[in-house]
Amino acid sequence: MNAPTLNPSADPARSPADSAELSLAASDDTPARGRDFTLALRIGLPLVLFAIVIWGWETYVRIAGVPHYVLPAPSRIMATMIADWPLLFGSLLQTLKTTFLGLALAIIGGVGLAVLLSLSRAIEYSLYPYAVVLQVTPVVAIAPLLLIYMPQETAVLTCAWIVAFFPILSNTTLGLQSVDRNLLELFDLYGSARPKWAPRWLGTFIARVKALYYLRGPAALPYFLGGLKIAGGLALIGAVVAEIAAGSAGAGSGLAYRIIESQFRLNIPRLFAALVLLSLTGVIIFLAMSAFSHMLLRRWHESAISQDK
Amino acid sequence: MAGASAQKTTGAGVVSAPGTVPAITLEGEGYSGAARLFAPLTLQVPAGRWTGLLGASGVGKSTLLRVIAGLETGVRFVGHVRASDGLPLTGRVALMAQSDLLVPWRDILGNVTLGATLRGTRPDRDRAMALLESVGLTDHARKRPHMLSGGQRQRVALARTLMEDRPVILLDEPFSALDARMRAQMQELAGELLAGRTVLLVTHEPAEAARLSHAAWLMSAQGLEALDLPDTPPVRDLEDTDFLTAQAALFRRLRARDPGVGFAGGEGA
Repeated sequence: MNAPTLNPSADPARSPADSAELSLAASDDTPARGRDFTLALRIGLPLVLFAIVIWGWETYVRIAGVPHYVLPAPSRIMATMIADWPLLFGSLLQTLKTTFLGLALAIIGGVGLAVLLSLSRAIEYSLYPYAVVLQVTPVVAIAPLLLIYMPQETAVLTCAWIVAFFPILSNTTLGLQSVDRNLLELFDLYGSARPKWAPRWLGTFIARVKALYYLRGPAALPYFLGGLKIAGGLALIGAVVAEIAAGSAGAGSGLAYRIIESQFRLNIPRLFAALVLLSLTGVIIFLAMSAFSHMLLRRWHESAISQDK
Repeated sequence: MAGASAQKTTGAGVVSAPGTVPAITLEGEGYSGAARLFAPLTLQVPAGRWTGLLGASGVGKSTLLRVIAGLETGVRFVGHVRASDGLPLTGRVALMAQSDLLVPWRDILGNVTLGATLRGTRPDRDRAMALLESVGLTDHARKRPHMLSGGQRQRVALARTLMEDRPVILLDEPFSALDARMRAQMQELAGELLAGRTVLLVTHEPAEAARLSHAAWLMSAQGLEALDLPDTPPVRDLEDTDFLTAQAALFRRLRARDPGVGFAGGEGA
């Protein structure tokens, strides 16, 4: 199966690889069944636990006669979800819109700034501390201010953006700096010949941009995607926090707003229904980001390769 | 080693002789902070030959190599490097290090043609494939580096070095991460494919210097000392008695130079 090597029989490094491939080829029977079983357990066990908890909850509410404005039964929450679906779905779309728009802006801003920082020391030194300040200040504290200065929708969006922005910036910056030094030197040796027409500073700049594109960029990708996974969840949190801060004052219609509104009206089943939708949104965002990252890295990066095995 | 000799014909065909091959002279001394790391020395690397540079870890072997390559060093080097033809060395030097430095997101062919891609020129795929054939990796051209063994990856690095077709080749402990059999094989392959170029081989392995070099030097804080090598041309046969004797002598001199800290603990630099 392999190339005509120099000396196949005397090539010790090949035999482990060969046996690994053999075991893979032989794996479509018993080990595959074992894998399927593990997979079934990993999906099945949480589902069973979920069913038990829901059943326990339902039984408790019925037997103890808990009023629905204190703790609604799962069946009632489900019924409310269906009855209020048009309202809730509108809110869901609103929250999703804010979250993804905030995330998209955070990606553009975070990656853009990280690239700028990597190209120029001066920019890095002047801007990075402020990015950190922006991050360590709890957004809940900024949200009321944003709501004063901006229209509500923009304020909510800004809030989502600020929280999601930092993990992307810091991870991408780290990634851009994490290229093997020796690799960069190899790059200098083989690729940095500056065009004859270019002055020295322009040559340096071109070399940096090239290094960014061919080496730092791909090397930073896994870090960026790690940041994206965190940022996805944080953008949702940011949106929710801002909506809650806007609260009764605003005319908002996101899921968090529905939760506050339901609380005021003691419509606890609807509050639960909105909560369920919010948590599902979080799960879906996380899964989407994981799938996206796996798709980009599966050909070469260790993290994705080991998942495939 | 029937396989290796069978490759010889293919290898010679692909590896075009580089244009003018310069000799290199390095003169200078090295400081680490205020302390002197090595005394003023003169290193002659004759054109088209292998020069071995032996020494204990941390003595500054790699510094000399990096100075020739024009790379940054942690050591302050006071002196100069000259090529025999008086032209600058920039763009005429290729480097192969202990780690293969393959880029994990490009396939093997993409790694071999990396230099051309970086310079924005069209990579010569046919030549790259021919070089991959000469290192015995034709079938792996489309694989990613993580799918290859350490020895195979080092062969890719060798193919990439050859792809650059530079007259001066700097080898910084290029085979020390390989196991003994693989190392012997790589030495033969490199000796054959890099013939005719000016090669500086930095190593802490006396056997490697004794096997591959036309001339070898022992580096210490006091400077360079010439080492005795067999008269036979490299690559020397592993079972050749002259080679074995020379290797043993080199080893003895290394230990005499650095009693105590020498090679017992200095292997992994």
